[in-house]
Amino acid sequence: MNPLIFTTILMTVLLGTMIVMTSSHWLMIWIGFEMNLLAIIPILMKKYNPRTMEASTKYFLTQATASMLLMMAIIINLMHSGQWTITKVFNPTASIIMTSALAMKLGLTPFHFWVPEVTQGISLTSGLILLTWQKLAPMSILYQISPSINLNILLTMAVLSILVGGWGGLNQTQLRKIMAYSSIAHMGWMTAVLVYNPTLTMLNMLIYIMMTLTMFMLFIHSSSTTTLSLSHTWNKTPLTTTLILITLLSMGGLPPLSGFMPKWMIIQELTKNSSIILPTLMAIMALLNLYFYMRLTYSTSLTMFPSTNNMKMKWQFETKRITLLPPLIVMSSLLLPLTPMLSILD
Amino acid sequence: MMTYIVFILSVIFVVSFVGFSSKPSPIYGGLVLIVSGGVGCGIIVNFGGSFLGLMVFLIYLGGMLVVFGYTTAMATEQYPEVWVSNTTVMGVFLLGLLMEVMLVLYVLKSEEVGVVFKFSGVGDWAIYDTGDSGVFSEEIMGVAALYSYGAWVVIVTGWSLLVGVLVILEVTRGD
Repeated sequence: MNPLIFTTILMTVLLGTMIVMTSSHWLMIWIGFEMNLLAIIPILMKKYNPRTMEASTKYFLTQATASMLLMMAIIINLMHSGQWTITKVFNPTASIIMTSALAMKLGLTPFHFWVPEVTQGISLTSGLILLTWQKLAPMSILYQISPSINLNILLTMAVLSILVGGWGGLNQTQLRKIMAYSSIAHMGWMTAVLVYNPTLTMLNMLIYIMMTLTMFMLFIHSSSTTTLSLSHTWNKTPLTTTLILITLLSMGGLPPLSGFMPKWMIIQELTKNSSIILPTLMAIMALLNLYFYMRLTYSTSLTMFPSTNNMKMKWQFETKRITLLPPLIVMSSLLLPLTPMLSILD
Repeated sequence: MMTYIVFILSVIFVVSFVGFSSKPSPIYGGLVLIVSGGVGCGIIVNFGGSFLGLMVFLIYLGGMLVVFGYTTAMATEQYPEVWVSNTTVMGVFLLGLLMEVMLVLYVLKSEEVGVVFKFSGVGDWAIYDTGDSGVFSEEIMGVAALYSYGAWVVIVTGWSLLVGVLVILEVTRGD
């Protein structure tokens, strides 16, 4: 793609999300979502084969439907309150429709079906943008309307997302699908605590974005999109295998790595609000996530499967240089002792 | 009939939406889109927005839909699908029509309809002078406000249109 046009389109994606996050008028928020959707389609279609076109079409259809639902919720809100500002949603029907629309944009169950298929059909870099940057805008709107969200619907969607994200990722060997199911599960964790303490949602979003960025960059660095291809990284860059181990365990939520911080805080906040069964269930279902992360580490860093000699070499001869990778790795594994600094987020 | 003109136009609006949502070929979808655009323009004009209605006719129907019609006519197949050619399309169209007819009867018969918000029968669709709009017409004031206080909206929509063109060129360019 022409670099000038690519830069323009990428800047429009950023501009769309910024408009969503900084607007106080519902119509501008909808405009921001549409601008974001329009501009990310050619980024998803960077390579011109039928898979990427199919993935872009699926993404466009689901997100456009979600925008339509959002517009309907905005108009119902307008009819009942007579004003366009985002303080809270004044009508329960509008609140439910808006929550469903934003859940469709995020990829929460039962609207999660597009996430693995779209993530699998596009390149690794586009998948990175899809799973990290595109989550910011809907989450910011959920944060702003959080006092008026129907708790039952949101908690049901969150718990089902954690279950589907864990269970669905069990049979996958393609790395992009694994990251997609991990995204579904993390979105579930984020929305579970949204009504109780939205600050923790933002904390979870921050740490999730860091860890997902790290994982995707490690995959891009070793140009691997399948588990088999990832298991050959010990030959090219042995250090990468250790880093993959640490980052994957951090994503699974194991202490003393930073991925434990949001889970710990969320479970603490939920128990403070006298719900015990819910965080227990959530923690148990996060084990499913941990299982397939550990399977990845097992084949990548911990064992070397018997293979013929010509399978042992990776074909790539030039190492990609990713400047941001070392700080990201450090941040996604060593942030746990900084937990007392959470008080600045208030 | 003139008191219920907005209701009638709204019904024709929904019926033409059902007509293209049941997915005949694009050329026939464009045909009912013209009808729905014209009827929507009529609804806007009935609420006092003559300028905006004329804008819909000129720009939407006379500009965008004409271009859409020509490009679809260039790309159409030899025997395009009509509503009665395919059982599925006809079934969906009839189903949509049936639901619309039932809804219209429900609104006409009952005193108060409460689906998401309550409105009292057909009475809520009739146009009557609600308040004192003063000397100036509201819609012209709205257009003026768009270009003065709403400069940011104009910038954003202009940028979206430019990026829309760039995106379409990128997507259809291929390799």
